[in-house]
Amino acid sequence: MRRLVSALALLLICLAAGCGGSSGGSSGGVAKVVMWHGFIDREGKALKAEVAAFNASHPDIHVTLQNYGNADFALRKVLTGIRAGSYPDIAYLYGSYAANLANAPKVVDVKPLSTESDVNWDDFWPAERQAVTVGDKIIGVPALVDNLSLVYNKKLFDQAGLAYPTADWTWEDFQAAAKKLTDPSKKQFGWAYVADGGEDTVWRFDALLWQAGGDILNSDNTKAEFNSPAGVKAAALLQQMAAVDHSVYLDNGNGNYANLFNSGKIAMLYTGPWDLSGFPDVDYGIQILPGDQSHATISGPDQWVMFDNGEQRRDAAWTFLKWLTSTDQAMKWSLATGDLPIRASQTQQPAYQAYTEKYPGIQMFVDNEENATKARPVITNYNEVSAAMGQAIQAVLLGKAQPQQALDDAADQVNTILASGQ
Amino acid sequence: MILRAARSEHATGWLFVAPAVILIGIFGVIPIGWSLILSFQHNDLISPPTWVGLDNYKALKDDPVFTESVKRTIVYTLLFVPLSVGGALLIALALNAPLRLGTLYRTAVFIPVATSTVATGIIFNWLMEPTYGVINYLLSKVGVGPEGFFQDPDQALYCIVAMTVWGWLGFNVIIYLAALQGVPEELLEAARIDGCGRVATFRHVTWPLLGPATLFLVVWSTINALQVFDEIYVTTHGGPLHATTVIVYYLYQQAFEFFHGGYGAAIAYVLFAATLVISLIQLWYGSRRVHYTS
Repeated sequence: MRRLVSALALLLICLAAGCGGSSGGSSGGVAKVVMWHGFIDREGKALKAEVAAFNASHPDIHVTLQNYGNADFALRKVLTGIRAGSYPDIAYLYGSYAANLANAPKVVDVKPLSTESDVNWDDFWPAERQAVTVGDKIIGVPALVDNLSLVYNKKLFDQAGLAYPTADWTWEDFQAAAKKLTDPSKKQFGWAYVADGGEDTVWRFDALLWQAGGDILNSDNTKAEFNSPAGVKAAALLQQMAAVDHSVYLDNGNGNYANLFNSGKIAMLYTGPWDLSGFPDVDYGIQILPGDQSHATISGPDQWVMFDNGEQRRDAAWTFLKWLTSTDQAMKWSLATGDLPIRASQTQQPAYQAYTEKYPGIQMFVDNEENATKARPVITNYNEVSAAMGQAIQAVLLGKAQPQQALDDAADQVNTILASGQ
Repeated sequence: MILRAARSEHATGWLFVAPAVILIGIFGVIPIGWSLILSFQHNDLISPPTWVGLDNYKALKDDPVFTESVKRTIVYTLLFVPLSVGGALLIALALNAPLRLGTLYRTAVFIPVATSTVATGIIFNWLMEPTYGVINYLLSKVGVGPEGFFQDPDQALYCIVAMTVWGWLGFNVIIYLAALQGVPEELLEAARIDGCGRVATFRHVTWPLLGPATLFLVVWSTINALQVFDEIYVTTHGGPLHATTVIVYYLYQQAFEFFHGGYGAAIAYVLFAATLVISLIQLWYGSRRVHYTS
């Protein structure tokens, strides 16, 4: 019996030791940097290769990668880590978390660092810089960027006898083409729209809203503006196409649209580079979005966020990040993964040619980044604002509400949310 | 001497249960206590919390989305519990008779329980897809539809009922089958000799003896139904237009999408209190009606 008791005690000690095992600072003169990310497959391999190259060329710093799984839940994991006192030096986090991160403890404000001459901060795309800037803080370094462009099935256009979309396409051109490309007997749709009421629903609407000259909120983020005539016009387009023309496949948020596009059931998509690898069976073309007053698109930049684990590790983490997001390394990353350049200067690199050849059509996404001039509001309760807008757009798409009424109701809700001022 | 032995046995006992106690403490008791504290706070899970007393609970009263989510959860529970328990009883009675390929049927009935919710969600998502789904295809053959299913705010909740009943039926069938095996053959035989028909035998012998199983299943299914979340998370995300936003989905949305940790915790505690009261009523009613065989 005595032996069993001591075995149990030993087990408990091991458990306790195991819990604390992940902490620990620098060993000797080598500064330790822990990086949390959620990359797998091609991107995961590329990141491992980058880190290996950095560790080999920087003997005084050792970067360790830890995969946190699904990036959708990364913020929660990082915050839990901060509460428990065991958190990474760098984490990959979504752009939409920026405002929340600005209030979080331990987040390093990189604004003073971003002015260092070898950073060349203004070389990052405008939408990326806006996404990490919260008030007078910069909460991270741009890590990944993409935007919405028009991806179309060439074969379906040929079959319908339609010319391919051009950079001058208007909403009318787009709507008419979508109608022509719809064939109920073949269960074929002109366009697809994610209609689950989530952010996927909202950000495509944001692009339309901006194209019509509207805005989501007023300039100091205190009042809703999406129920302006521009917003109503954008919602009316969706209503016309989805509820009158029935030329839109309404995806319920489970990503069916990608499979359906790949099987030639959908002619056009508003989507980004991340979806392209899912279309091996389609000869597709890419064009900038159809326009109204402008051809504005929306960009979804994500970022590397630094957390303070003491001066030595913080400095080392910054050295690594600066290196990782430099033009040379970012170009290697783009080449390996197909992700868009995060810096304008990458397009001047010799390797850029190889990149556009390796990933056909990607050039259009890169060019389109210039149309990503506006960003979603960087506020802590953005998710609530988005949810209210999402319900309105969903109601319009499903033919359950009129554009003006739906947007006015949502604007009332948003004004209440903004007034509660969290 | 005896006292010392007892005490050392006591300590040994604690050591034996220590791993379980520690795990339950860390992952059960502490979070439950912490979320009670949380429900009295304004807490976005990021910045320092502020104490707001009962404000979160008071705000619930005036929150139309919460009120609607309560109604939806009640509708769901009132459909799910009778269908999954009643349906399971019918299937169990059928499978209890000596059948050819009986084992095959039993396995088939249980497979949905062993299937992950995510897989179930994907399957139903495609089955009930309005344009390309098999169900609308079959309906069109008999001149019905097409229906919107998960995309129709008037149908989505009932589709969730169908999907979850399908998913849970097998578990209930197994419980009923086990209970049916426990019905003593001599009682059934005695009933037959006394001239009872099949219906009368079921009503006066089998059904009363299934009482404990029925009570367990009703209480268990009710708790599950009040807490339904996974199936909604993987199919409709609470939509369309809040049509499937039940209490736990709303809680999730508040706490983890809107970062209203305190408000979410308050919803959780209201649900906990309601579940406790409902379960106690069911158990109290059951204790007066259910017969346990000796």
